[in-house]
Amino acid sequence: MENINSRLKFYCDADRCIECFACVVACQNAHELPVGIARRKVVTLNDGVEGKETSISIACMHCSDAPCSQVCPVDCFYIREDGIVLHDKEKCIGCGYCLYACPFGAPQFPKDGVFGAKGAMDKCTMCAGGPLETNSEIERHTYGQNRISEGKVPVCAAMCSTNALMIGTSEKVSELYRTRVLARGESKEANNSYLWNVAYNKQSRKGLTQ
Amino acid sequence: MKKYRVLLSSLLLSMTSLYAISTGTYDDPLYGTAMLNAIPKYFAFGEVFTYLQREWFWKGFLIALFLVPVAGSIHYMIIGPKVFSHDGKKIFAFGLFMRIMHNLAALSFLVLVPTGFVMAFGDFFGGGTFVRVCKNLHGIATPVFAITVLPMIIAWIRDMIFNMDDVKWMMIVGGYLSKEKKPIPAGKFNAGQKAWFWIAMPGGILMILTGALMFFLNINLSPVATLFGVSQIDLLRISAIIHNVLGMVVATFFMVHVYMAAIAIKGAIHSMITGYKEEEEVAILHSSWYRKLKEEGKV
Repeated sequence: MENINSRLKFYCDADRCIECFACVVACQNAHELPVGIARRKVVTLNDGVEGKETSISIACMHCSDAPCSQVCPVDCFYIREDGIVLHDKEKCIGCGYCLYACPFGAPQFPKDGVFGAKGAMDKCTMCAGGPLETNSEIERHTYGQNRISEGKVPVCAAMCSTNALMIGTSEKVSELYRTRVLARGESKEANNSYLWNVAYNKQSRKGLTQ
Repeated sequence: MKKYRVLLSSLLLSMTSLYAISTGTYDDPLYGTAMLNAIPKYFAFGEVFTYLQREWFWKGFLIALFLVPVAGSIHYMIIGPKVFSHDGKKIFAFGLFMRIMHNLAALSFLVLVPTGFVMAFGDFFGGGTFVRVCKNLHGIATPVFAITVLPMIIAWIRDMIFNMDDVKWMMIVGGYLSKEKKPIPAGKFNAGQKAWFWIAMPGGILMILTGALMFFLNINLSPVATLFGVSQIDLLRISAIIHNVLGMVVATFFMVHVYMAAIAIKGAIHSMITGYKEEEEVAILHSSWYRKLKEEGKV
């Protein structure tokens, strides 16, 4: 990993997320996840408090220094060249340590063992499958779709109706987000988008009604 | 009319499922807003756990694994085991019920300790089925140990309170550093056994509780979490830290206990099978108890 900015990243623009849960449903459907497994979650903070309510879509953040991979007692994690953090479900024993190390609650645990013991961990793969043969039936069954190998955007970001959920190299994502923040009218020099001002800028909205 | 009733009830049913989705799935006590609110506090337990698990726990377990076998074999080679006559009179020490309880606990420990080590060095075994089976055995053996804890505490706690004999015992390390057979100050249980009791019983309860929390990780543990005033994820992190550190201590003491009973004092293990101790062994290693029994005319 010569350039840290070339790693693939998710970013959820909390100003745009409208809490529609499309990313969650798309993810669960695309990967045929069992009930109770939510690789991606939408969490709303200050629900119902006017002006303070914020929603964010959250999943594995594919950290550069992935703490999950540092604590795994069986070393089942591996980090791809493009920064996607994946794990080997055949090695995983379902101990839960990765969840304790994760700040974002990404690792999920199905209860499929004896007496409700935890099965192998499941988490967001950024739609990149797992260590098994790419696009094989067994890979799809174990880890879900492998859209990255087909050159597609992960299904959650592809589905996002407001484009709140961004995915790409960290360079691209931050560039995109920077443009958006500037366009929101927080800088006079920025090329303000008309539609954006209609949606977010009071003066433009007033102008429209006149 | 019937049609409307069916329609109405199905509508109501779908409403309840909506309610279940909105409150159950998306504000999970572990994964919901509580997790997001715990992110700013990540450095407290999350970072500490990550650091300890990455740098220290495996080293601790490595020391725990080799400390007693190495120290034990050195002791065995230099000083050697204590051998007492097995032909003399015998003194009844442990009733049938307590022997069953103790040996159930012993059996569960013979599963818990090795499987715990296998998990701690899971990467050495390459993960997969073997380590997973060990993890499940670790969970299954726990209830077996759990049922023996209270009987053992109730039966032995009065004999386990430290007294002046134990200070003297500690000064001479129980006389295990010499081959001489002179009476050692100790009651029914010596200071070493007492230390093991206080580690295995309150420590064992703590191990069961922290282990149970980690076993049930994604069910609603908020009653416990609010009791300690932390989020559920922090509760799990604290549990993992306690379970690992205490695990090293318990495993070390367990191996000392096994070495003493099975190797260092020849035949001492029979007192937990038949219930009888050799009179000579009691007279030397538990001299205070022996004196008391003599005064009471029980010998």
